[in-house]
Amino acid sequence: MKPNHHLDDATLLSYSSGALPAALAVVASTHLERCATCRMRLLDADRIGGVLVQQQRVDAPADDARAAMLALLDAEPAIEQVAPPADIVEEHDPDRLPSALHPWFGNSMRALRWRRVAPGVQRIRATGINGGDLMLLRIAPGSKLPLHSHGGSELTMILDGAYDDMLGHFGPGDVADLDGEIQHQPVTSPGVPCICVAATDAPLKFSGWVARTLQPLFGF
Amino acid sequence: MGVTNGKLRMMKHNNAGAEVLPFGAKRSVNHAINTTAPDARYWSAQMSAVSTQRDRTSFMRIYDHFAPRLQRYLRNLGVSGPVADELVQDALLTLWRKAAMFDPARASLDTWLYRVARNLYIDHVRREPHWLPIQEGLDRLDHVESGRLDSQPESFFDQDILKQAIDRLPPVQAKLVRMCYLESKSHGEISRELDMPLGSVKSSLRRAFAKLQGSMRAPR
Repeated sequence: MKPNHHLDDATLLSYSSGALPAALAVVASTHLERCATCRMRLLDADRIGGVLVQQQRVDAPADDARAAMLALLDAEPAIEQVAPPADIVEEHDPDRLPSALHPWFGNSMRALRWRRVAPGVQRIRATGINGGDLMLLRIAPGSKLPLHSHGGSELTMILDGAYDDMLGHFGPGDVADLDGEIQHQPVTSPGVPCICVAATDAPLKFSGWVARTLQPLFGF
Repeated sequence: MGVTNGKLRMMKHNNAGAEVLPFGAKRSVNHAINTTAPDARYWSAQMSAVSTQRDRTSFMRIYDHFAPRLQRYLRNLGVSGPVADELVQDALLTLWRKAAMFDPARASLDTWLYRVARNLYIDHVRREPHWLPIQEGLDRLDHVESGRLDSQPESFFDQDILKQAIDRLPPVQAKLVRMCYLESKSHGEISRELDMPLGSVKSSLRRAFAKLQGSMRAPR
């Protein structure tokens, strides 16, 4: 199924330039794995980078640098050029987490060890990520999350289940790319829990008394 | 006197003006008229010679043009001289080893090398060990994708049109695009540095990307 909600243009530029904070980049990579449309848009962003690098004025390389490069080629074993690998048949395994998440959460959905942080809300927080906050959230079906906005940027991608908010319906593969100005109150769909991966580069801001009660539970 | 001897002598003594040898000629042209870069078709032919014949002359043509530009790019990102030299060598060695993976229908050589250098920067300097395998995974997905479509013609997008579109960006958008790509600054860092609201940074970058993307899609 093709995603309907995609990465923001500004987020793609940042990803292409290597400037997106690490936690947000993990969620963007997770979406890119699922979304050929965004991979094409990323190629456009990379083309801009390629041209900007070419436009720089430079001098010819030094002779010793050229000689060093040629010496490196001499040291290379004369291996056969490998053709691109054959098609990798990606069998669809509903238990398998996207590859971009493996370093942080392992590869099996079933093996995840959830921790309850609020009624109907479970969470696993990635440790050791350098730049922002990365977590998996599992929200019971038919739950209404507290109204909140974001101090900085937030990227969320649905892995399973779905939710609705003022921006529309979000199902598996869809990404919500939100910045500080947007206040939203997602309501998860009935049926199965909504499992998503979320990253922020600044703490969430909850409004309302329910939210203020929940905030400590989210650990922010 | 064989060409090889001439080449070696040229490297050692660099007595410009004596004999016009391929490298020497190429380099002095590059040096004098920095802006007349060969086009994507030219680089595609050099890559083809590298991958099918392991042709060093073609490889060094690529090196002479791209190595100093990648070096400048990495230095601007704050990479120290020796590390930048090493990463440039790594990037060109990657090209030598993986030349058969280069597909001119998907990306021109400057886009391809931009990706390689950017990935090395994120891997070595930002120390994000998971970035490289994830990018290789995304690359394989695109190979599978393009294999499914019927054989595509070599579609060289017009880099000159993109260059012109970059030159025509309004000053603020141009500045933000350069900070994003050539300084690898996050939206938050740009916002703080220019004392500009985060929302404005993002919307300016969105507008710039829309214009540049439009130039790449424009009918010729």
